[in-house]
Amino acid sequence: MNFRLRQLFHYISLIFLMISCAKAPVFKKYETVYKIGDQQTWASKDWDDKDWKKGDPILDDGRVFWLRTPIDILQDPERPNPYGIRLEIYGEYEVFWDGILIGKNGNPGLEATRAPEGKIWATFIIPEHQARKGEHLLAIRGSLYYFPDHTGIWSLNLDYYDNLLTDSLIQNSYMHVFAGAFLIISLYFLFLFLNNKKEYPTLIFSICCFLIFALALTVFSTDYIPIHYSVHVIRLQIISSFLLGISFLIPLYFSMQFPYPRQRLLLILYAAVLVFIFLFRHDAFDFKAVGMVLSMWCFSFCVVTYGAYNHIKGARLVLATLLLSMIIFLTFGFVISLYAGLGLILLGMLYLVALRIKDQRLAYENSLVQSTRLQLELLKKNIQPHFLMNTLTSLIDWVEESPKKGVLFIEALAKEFDLVNQMENHTLIPVNQEIELCKTHLEIMEYRKEINYVWEDEGIDSSEKIPPGILHTLLENGITHSLPQDDNIIMFKLCYDANNEFRRYTFLTFAKENSKKEPIEGTGIKYVKARLEESYQSKWSFTSEATDSGWKNEIIIYY
Amino acid sequence: MNILIIEDESRIAKRIERMTRDILGNAIQSLRHINTLQEAMEFLENNPLDLVLLDLNLNGENGFDMLKSAVSESFHTIIISAYKDQAITAFEYGVLDFVPKPFNIERLEQAFERVTSQEKTDASSIKFLAVKKRGNIQLVPVEDILYIKGAGAYTELYLMNGNKELHDKSLEKLEQLLSPTFERIHKSYLVKMSEVKEIIVKSGSKYEVELNSGEFLPIGRTRYKEIKSKWV
Repeated sequence: MNFRLRQLFHYISLIFLMISCAKAPVFKKYETVYKIGDQQTWASKDWDDKDWKKGDPILDDGRVFWLRTPIDILQDPERPNPYGIRLEIYGEYEVFWDGILIGKNGNPGLEATRAPEGKIWATFIIPEHQARKGEHLLAIRGSLYYFPDHTGIWSLNLDYYDNLLTDSLIQNSYMHVFAGAFLIISLYFLFLFLNNKKEYPTLIFSICCFLIFALALTVFSTDYIPIHYSVHVIRLQIISSFLLGISFLIPLYFSMQFPYPRQRLLLILYAAVLVFIFLFRHDAFDFKAVGMVLSMWCFSFCVVTYGAYNHIKGARLVLATLLLSMIIFLTFGFVISLYAGLGLILLGMLYLVALRIKDQRLAYENSLVQSTRLQLELLKKNIQPHFLMNTLTSLIDWVEESPKKGVLFIEALAKEFDLVNQMENHTLIPVNQEIELCKTHLEIMEYRKEINYVWEDEGIDSSEKIPPGILHTLLENGITHSLPQDDNIIMFKLCYDANNEFRRYTFLTFAKENSKKEPIEGTGIKYVKARLEESYQSKWSFTSEATDSGWKNEIIIYY
Repeated sequence: MNILIIEDESRIAKRIERMTRDILGNAIQSLRHINTLQEAMEFLENNPLDLVLLDLNLNGENGFDMLKSAVSESFHTIIISAYKDQAITAFEYGVLDFVPKPFNIERLEQAFERVTSQEKTDASSIKFLAVKKRGNIQLVPVEDILYIKGAGAYTELYLMNGNKELHDKSLEKLEQLLSPTFERIHKSYLVKMSEVKEIIVKSGSKYEVELNSGEFLPIGRTRYKEIKSKWV
């Protein structure tokens, strides 16, 4: 765990380092003013724009409008690197710097008649001699045919032209590595799930990782996928949908790992809140993103805190990652915290998955040991001294006194050994085989005890299977703890019945009770219970009680 | 001899009964077979016995409680059991012999030999003497016993701490079980040899042992030589 924490610490330090290295901007931007209309002289640096309006115009058709933004350059560019300007603007436009056209992005004013051209993010080079320290003017001649309420400059950055291009490439390549890691994790856990289809948390974790991969790819693919502003909303919708998925699945995963009361109801309510945020104001994408992610954090936090309160393994570490992601959010804002935080939370989830896998492995190993132990237990029945030595002593006596009967006795003994050998490697055997074993055992016991043992069964479904040796064990207990009735008979009866919910075996002993004491749970009963657990997990019940006529055992196996 | 067989396996009980009759013949006054502990306990209380043949595992119940009360009685106990690993414990409680199943007539005869010839057990494996005290049975560690005095059919156990306990077995029977740690120095005394400080010869061919505790006990005239040789 220390190693994990150290890794987290390194990760966080790296982010701090990246932030602190960010350079101070080389420009200062003033407020943008606009005017609807089209006049080439509006590009001029010295044009008097006092009567121009502030804010963002709403254009109800593809008319041309102008935007003028004064910009101060704070230091001269170093030769030979020119400055450039990167713009995020809805619409098609031309860019003028101090009155000179420095770039074109589509065909302003002709959008209605021409096919969409240009892209929403564009970078333009500023000629070196016009980018000296001092006051400058950026003029945009544009039109906005598709989203008339989206005018204005959404983002503007001025820096060395090369840096503008490479910085985002570097950032994007980092994010692609980040996304790639999640893709691999996602595929790995998908394959794990495909191999064990009961493990839904593994599938959810895999989907979460895939959504984060897809989210990062969608957000950071702008450098190589040119997007026209008219289709940009589709990208935003895709991003929102990914966030919706992530925001629901992460708390769902935590809910599966850290159960709490009224889980289903609370999850439905939570889903309703998310859907409400998702559908609330179709265009408020930033609001949606922050709303959904914060809801996810709050709900996850409650679930994990409840888990930690109940001392569930792993909850504390996950709680720590959640708190850390909140600190990152409060310190660095939404965009950085989204990926750093999601990364952290996913790490926490990965830790939980690792814990569960370890638990499963241990449980599996235990079940193997348990199965071997039960197998030995079954084999031991016929060689444990009480059975074997008493049988052999009786056998010697029969051989000495009545050799013919002695032979029959040996045959019965051989048959019992044979039956046990046949079933030793199976966890379930046909019920008739078990009944056969019981009858053979009674035959042997008749030679030993000289009591008439009677076997009856009723309603047996020969297609049914049961764990080996459990009826035999109950029979042994019945023989040991019973005295014959006055006619020197002990009767055993096995009844079977089934309905839609369960199958039931009732095993009755008709005899005089040997002692009135409640028998303590001996190794025999433990064997029966362990066998039932092995084959039916928790879907069984076993009861054993005295009756007026002897003893009653009841095994119920639920579907 | 009055003999009781406690065994829940009918065929084996019959075998023991038949062999016992074959071996002991007319020496048998009564021979009884019981197959439950409860009945056996009742029978023990109400009938004088000389020998009990006991199976330790009766109807799934632990026979050691039965064993404890059997060995506190005046008669000898022989265990006939399938569990050889219980033999050591049985000897510690003071049984005369342990016959493992399956057994034959020779092995049973050997066990009866010990009873009839008053042969001593070879190893002093006994660790406890069970004494009846206010209805309960208490185990007195053999190492706590200083000497034993015969008192008619009973015996008195004199302990290191000065206490005295009564035991139902005769001095002869205890001698069989406690030898060679204990020696019969007199017809009424059985003494732990490691506690003997000195052998004193008195006038008139009288002999005594002085114990570490400072007590003096008489030595039988006929036994003096044997005791003297063993003590050195």
